[in-house]
Amino acid sequence: MIATDNFLMARVGAGELSKLAVLFERHHRALFRYFVSMTRSRETAEDLVQDVFFRMLRYRASYDPERPFAAWMYQIARRASLDQAQKRGAEVVGIEGFLDRPVELVSPSPGPEERASRGQRLALLRRALDRLPEEKREILVLARFQGMKYEAIAEVLGCEAAAVKVRVYRAMRALEQIYFALEKEKAS
Amino acid sequence: MTCGQAKRLFADHWSQSLSADQEIALEAHLGGCDVCRPEADRLGALWSDLARLPAEEPGPGLRPRFYDLLRGARSQPASANKPQMSWRIAAGIALLAAGVPIGYALRPKDPELAQLREEVSSMRQLVALSLLQQQSASERLRGVSWAYRAEPSDSEVLRALLDRVNSDPNVNVRLAAVDALHAFGSSDAARKAVLGSLEKQDAPLVQVAIVDLLVDLHDRDAKPVLRRMARNVSTDAGVRQRVQWALEKLQ
Repeated sequence: MIATDNFLMARVGAGELSKLAVLFERHHRALFRYFVSMTRSRETAEDLVQDVFFRMLRYRASYDPERPFAAWMYQIARRASLDQAQKRGAEVVGIEGFLDRPVELVSPSPGPEERASRGQRLALLRRALDRLPEEKREILVLARFQGMKYEAIAEVLGCEAAAVKVRVYRAMRALEQIYFALEKEKAS
Repeated sequence: MTCGQAKRLFADHWSQSLSADQEIALEAHLGGCDVCRPEADRLGALWSDLARLPAEEPGPGLRPRFYDLLRGARSQPASANKPQMSWRIAAGIALLAAGVPIGYALRPKDPELAQLREEVSSMRQLVALSLLQQQSASERLRGVSWAYRAEPSDSEVLRALLDRVNSDPNVNVRLAAVDALHAFGSSDAARKAVLGSLEKQDAPLVQVAIVDLLVDLHDRDAKPVLRRMARNVSTDAGVRQRVQWALEKLQ
């Protein structure tokens, strides 16, 4: 039987530090993607993933196995991200280079025209996502990229699940507006 | 249903977490609303496209950095007792040099060293098991490499390797797992499981690797299965040739 995240983290809390390796293997990619979406810098994202696991070790005794592990981990991740943002002030690292990277398609082999058109659409969508205000971007990243349920996001953000759903809707509306503005900009 | 009520259901609609009744009510509203229908379609398409954005992958340096961090954290309690440890080691060396047998006897009894050894072994096992379950074939290959560092008596790693040999969709992973099973050859259960896997394999390369493994392990119990394979006309010609060679070796 595969051990749950909660069980493993509880064991880390009890002193079996090696169990953190399993949690790292399970979650470091998702955390990396969260941080890349939030900071737009791969280097910063890698530093932050490392920081999250460092904080998990440091605060392991405070983990409550009754609470969902993912919510606890993303609370730590948000705090790490916030601390890091304060450290570097308003600086945005390598944003242009990051935005200009080509979008490679992950879907199964479409034709060349469809592929080009979809690639352009996704490149535009990524630019739109990067231009979203941080709190709106974060909620979409958690809901869509991390695949978290609205209840779990509510726990991370410290609000009700109903409020999360409303925020997701508003974030999608804002994303759509930016997307169409970028599309118009490109066409003109 | 009003437009406001419909829009409050959009987030659940996108994440497919509406109840059947709610879904029907929403669809009924969208079917008759010229404002909500286009909005639902546009936002729904964007929601789908979000999932198509390629996932960024971390660089190769992240994993070693984490394991360095973990090693550092695990060594902290030991370093706190450093003076005591140094004294013990120095005493042990002095006693050994003097030829007093008790110096040697002290070493295996050291509970800290034993615990550290156990933890390192446990960590290797966890990493191997975790990587062996990954979706990416290259990660599973890394898991096989870690399996070499596990104890030969580690039944969980053995089970995971056998699982890879029997069911991994990637031939390279299966081949690597067969190679890693050499270390577990002293286990009767391992030898039986390897033999059981031989006839189930569809890739001749993997069959040959298993035959070679059985020869390396001098598994004479394999002979009936090998004879059956040698007689079976549907066995790949190259495999049959290797099976004949193995039967000669196991005489």
